[in-house]
Amino acid sequence: MEIGMLPISASKRGKLLAAGYTTLHSILRTSTTHLVRDIEVSESEALEILNFATRSNDLDKSSGSNTNVIDGGQTAWDMLNEERFSSLITTSCLDLDNILGGGINCKEVTEIGGVPGIGKTQIGIQLAVNVQIPLDYGGLGGKAIYIDTEGSFMVERVLQIAEACIEDMSEYSHHFHKDNQAFGVKMHPNSILENIFYFRVCSYTEQIALVNYLDKFVTEHKDVKIIIIDSVTFHFRQDFDDMALRTRLLGEMSLKLMKLAKNLSLAVVMLNQVTTKHIEGSFQLTLALGDSWSHSCTNRIILYWNGDERHAYIDKSPSLKSASAPYSVTSRGIRNSTSSSKRIKMV
Amino acid sequence: MAPLNSLSKEYPLIDSNFQTFCASHAIYSVEDFLLHDLDALFASAANHSNSERLKQGIHQLLLIVDALHPPVLNGLQLIEDAKRNKHVFSTGCEGIDALLGGGLRVGQLTELVGPSSSGKTQVCLMSSSTVAKNKCSVIYLDTGNSFSPQRIAYFVGQSSDYVSVNQNILDRIICYPVFDVYQMFDLLHQLKINLRSQIVKSDHQVQVLIVDSISSLITPILRGNGPQGHALMISSGFLLKQLAHEHNIAVLVTNHVVGGDDGNPKPALGESWKSVPHVRLLLSRDCRSNVSNISIIKHPAMASGRSATSTRLFV
Repeated sequence: MEIGMLPISASKRGKLLAAGYTTLHSILRTSTTHLVRDIEVSESEALEILNFATRSNDLDKSSGSNTNVIDGGQTAWDMLNEERFSSLITTSCLDLDNILGGGINCKEVTEIGGVPGIGKTQIGIQLAVNVQIPLDYGGLGGKAIYIDTEGSFMVERVLQIAEACIEDMSEYSHHFHKDNQAFGVKMHPNSILENIFYFRVCSYTEQIALVNYLDKFVTEHKDVKIIIIDSVTFHFRQDFDDMALRTRLLGEMSLKLMKLAKNLSLAVVMLNQVTTKHIEGSFQLTLALGDSWSHSCTNRIILYWNGDERHAYIDKSPSLKSASAPYSVTSRGIRNSTSSSKRIKMV
Repeated sequence: MAPLNSLSKEYPLIDSNFQTFCASHAIYSVEDFLLHDLDALFASAANHSNSERLKQGIHQLLLIVDALHPPVLNGLQLIEDAKRNKHVFSTGCEGIDALLGGGLRVGQLTELVGPSSSGKTQVCLMSSSTVAKNKCSVIYLDTGNSFSPQRIAYFVGQSSDYVSVNQNILDRIICYPVFDVYQMFDLLHQLKINLRSQIVKSDHQVQVLIVDSISSLITPILRGNGPQGHALMISSGFLLKQLAHEHNIAVLVTNHVVGGDDGNPKPALGESWKSVPHVRLLLSRDCRSNVSNISIIKHPAMASGRSATSTRLFV
């Protein structure tokens, strides 16, 4: 393993190379005092470099177990069995749930994009409420984090959707548990509001800082099961002169979100805006933030208008079929489309 | 290269006398030693008082250097190695296999380039299931949480007769979520160590390594403060090719596209990365008609520009 692969800063790496330490072995042979003298760093920094080098070397020596599984991996069989118990967050629209295979998947990053007014924020709020449906009713009983970059989060609307959700739940329990009167819903709209953690970010640096902080936050609040970012594009679109910097920052942010989703088993939903792209002579609508960003999600859903109806189309998914489904935005939240043709269109 | 004084602990011949002698010729490290004229050094050593010991010291240094470089192979040995070790793995899709000249070749780094949703992950998943059915192990590094065990089970279940066989097949595919380029280096390094010390058992031998996608690991560090991102990219390519050649693995990586100067999409990761993979394939898919197109950008043995089109290249 070479010096280039040690996680140390560029200036220290340059100093090591200039002093003649080009391989890991050469670092391991010296002591802290020699390092301090040769590359002019402090004792603690030299100790840190030696620790990194020793740790990398220890990886060399630790070839004890003869198994093929290096730490951190899982076989496909184990993952398949785990997935059977995986959690899905319903969107309250049956057609949409059907094309999603049951709902939004935890451990995955889903990107939802569409033209303004199509209902992205509405879907975000509906998911923030639906994640709190108790386990008895088939939900996750978790909490939600809502990161608002545009200021489109209206608390009155959340209250409305929460009340509608509780009414639906009590109707369900009334239908299926007619004899058992004590099975009433014990939730109150205020408790639903309490379980949504709301962050308002006003610049891209705040957004990146928040994503970095989320790891610690979710470890403290273990019930969080969904993070909604509305919208992930807003602060990166205007006044960004350095496109290369933007690509780097977005790439890093998406890796962190992927890591959050995987390690803490929660769903990450990113809402995105649209832009036009010149493809083969015509202008087409695509999601914003460019080509590199289009690879930063596990699933992508595009919302669009079809005549007078709102539709959702699965654009990218490793395991779901390409399909589109209609949905509608009502006073009670996201629901099935009320038009007569309720077929799911297979593309 | 190490300074000479660091070698003195392990090799007593390179003592302080020897180092003073070298210092008199402005030789302070092994690199200086290699650049110096050795005949002149020997001649000057002969003129010294303890010339024998000095000559032994020079020989010692030369021995150390000789022990470090890989063995030299001639063409005949290479062909024998290719016949014995460098198999070809089918990807499970005839169109792609035909383009690749049989499939994924052991010892080569194959790259799939394509825009989002063009089928790169699907090709990776399909290849994993085909290789696992042929009783070889696959290591899958997943950077975007796109490894779908259901899809693998679907591919495996398509052409296998017994349901109970599935667990053995699925156990051969091991998935590692990787979110950091240093994490990938650690993992590849551990894999190298494991492979070196492994007793060869045909059922558990790792023969295919898939990185999906390497561009999402490298894009955050490229063109940052200085050239170290670039250096890390080239080192990762080098490490993957070394793993492929020395340990007889077929490596498959995926890359995305960025907008080019004339509006046509071009592969990401820049000009230097172009020469790293042995084989590069470009995928594209027309969403409306569901027609997939794969063409060769670069291949050591097939003509570039050859392409295959199919609706439903993989079901």
